[in-house]
Amino acid sequence: MSRSPEDKRLIELMDRVAADDRRRADAQAALRELYELTSPRLYGLALRVVRNREWAEDVLQETYLNIWRIAGDYRASLSPPLAWMGVVVRSRALDFLRRRATERADSALELDNAMSDALPGDSADPMDVSEASEQAWALHECLRKLEARQREVVSLAYLRDLSHGELAAQLKLPLGTVKTWIRRGIDQLRACMARFA
Amino acid sequence: MNLHSHPELLDRIAAAYALGTLRGGARRRFEAMARQVPPVRVAALLWQERFAAMTELQAAQVPHANVWKRIENVLEAQSAADTSMAPPSPLAEGWRRALARWRTAALAGSMAALALLGVSVHLAGEVRRGEVQLARAEGERATLARSNAQITAQLQARPEIQYVAVLNDDRSSASMLVTFDPNRNTLTVKRIGAYQAAPDRSLQLWALPTGANPQSLGVLGDGAVMRLAAARDQVVPAPTLAVTLEPRGGVTGGPTGPILFKGPLLQAP
Repeated sequence: MSRSPEDKRLIELMDRVAADDRRRADAQAALRELYELTSPRLYGLALRVVRNREWAEDVLQETYLNIWRIAGDYRASLSPPLAWMGVVVRSRALDFLRRRATERADSALELDNAMSDALPGDSADPMDVSEASEQAWALHECLRKLEARQREVVSLAYLRDLSHGELAAQLKLPLGTVKTWIRRGIDQLRACMARFA
Repeated sequence: MNLHSHPELLDRIAAAYALGTLRGGARRRFEAMARQVPPVRVAALLWQERFAAMTELQAAQVPHANVWKRIENVLEAQSAADTSMAPPSPLAEGWRRALARWRTAALAGSMAALALLGVSVHLAGEVRRGEVQLARAEGERATLARSNAQITAQLQARPEIQYVAVLNDDRSSASMLVTFDPNRNTLTVKRIGAYQAAPDRSLQLWALPTGANPQSLGVLGDGAVMRLAAARDQVVPAPTLAVTLEPRGGVTGGPTGPILFKGPLLQAP
C-alpha cells in the first residue's frame, strides 16, 4: 500500500510510542509530536460527535491515553493512521455519551448552542480533505455527490451511531424522510465507491 | 437466505450494517452470518473500512492548550506509580503481554471495533474467535485476573497467524484468504468466492518472490478450506501470492496458465 510522507511520519511516531523496550522519555516525546500533528483534526471529530467543547476535550484526552496504550495494535491494521486514530476517537466519544446518558437523563439540554445541527444548505461542503488519506479522498468524492442534507444524515448516522429514529429526532425530520435519504444515500455511495475499490 | 449468492443485496446490507442503521434482529442475524460466511464478513469489513475514512473528513479545530497538559499529568502519575513497584518478573511480563493481547481481543469484541485491527487480523479471526469469546465472557477487566492462568494457556495454545493474504480477482473482489502459521509450517487457504475450476483444470498457489521465479506452494483441492505444508523461507520472503489456472494436477516448473487471484502477503504483528 502506498503511503504519503505524512502517513509515514505518523506511523513512525506510533511505533515509537509502542516500542517494546520503550524508553519512557522517547515514547512520551513521540506521543507529544503525534498530538501536535493530529489533535486539531481529532478534536474537530470529537466535537462533531459530542457537540460540547468540554466533553470533546475529555474525549481527546481519553483518546491519546488510549493510543498510548494500544499504539502497538496499529501495525495489525490496514487503515491509514489518521483513520485508525479517528475510529479510536469515535469509540471513545460514543462511550462518553453512553456513560453520560446513563448518569443523567437531561444531557440533551447541555449541547452547546453554537453547535446545533441545522442542516446545511445545498452548497455547503464542510468536509476537509487537506490531510486525508486516499481512502478518505475517495469517500469524500462520493459523499460530495450526495445532496447536502442527505450527506449530513449519512455522516451523522455513522459518526454518532444513530438509528433512523434517533436521526429523525435529532434533526427534527419525519422518520420516512430519514429512511428514504439513508437508503438512497447508501445506494449512491455503493455505486460510487465501487469505482474506487 | 443465502445472502452471499445475492451480491447486490449483500453489499447493500453490509453498507447499512457498517453505517450503523441496520438494527435489532436484522443486525444480529447479519453478524451471525458474517461470523459463519467469509464473503459476508469481507463485505462488512470492506464497508467498515470505507466508513472509517469519514473520521478523517471533519473540519479541524484547535483544542485548548491545557488538554495536552492533562494528558502529560496522567502519564507522569502513571510513571511515578510504575517506578515505585518492583521491576517486572518474567511471569509478570508474560502476563502483561497476555493482557495486551486480551485487550486486542476485547477490542475485537464488536464487529465495529474489528475495523480497528484491520483486515489482516479479522481474517485471522477464525482462530481468534475463541479468544474473543473468552474476552467477552470476561466482561470487566477487574474480573480478568481470576482466569489469567486459563487465558494465558489458551493464548499459548493457539496457532500463530503471522502472515495473511487476501487474494482478489481482477475486479478486486476477495476470492481467497491465505494464512500462514510459521510455527507449524502450515498454509491455510480458504475459498470465499464462488469460482470453481473446470473438471480438467486445477488451481495452483504460488509465491512470487522479488527478483526470482514464482515458486509453487501447492495445488488446491476442491474443498472450501485447504491446508498445505510450506516452509517459512518459501513463503515469507514473497511480497505477493497468486493463484493460477493450470492443467489438472498442476504443473512443475513455472506457472503456465493465467493468474486468477493475487494479493500481497501481510505480516501481522
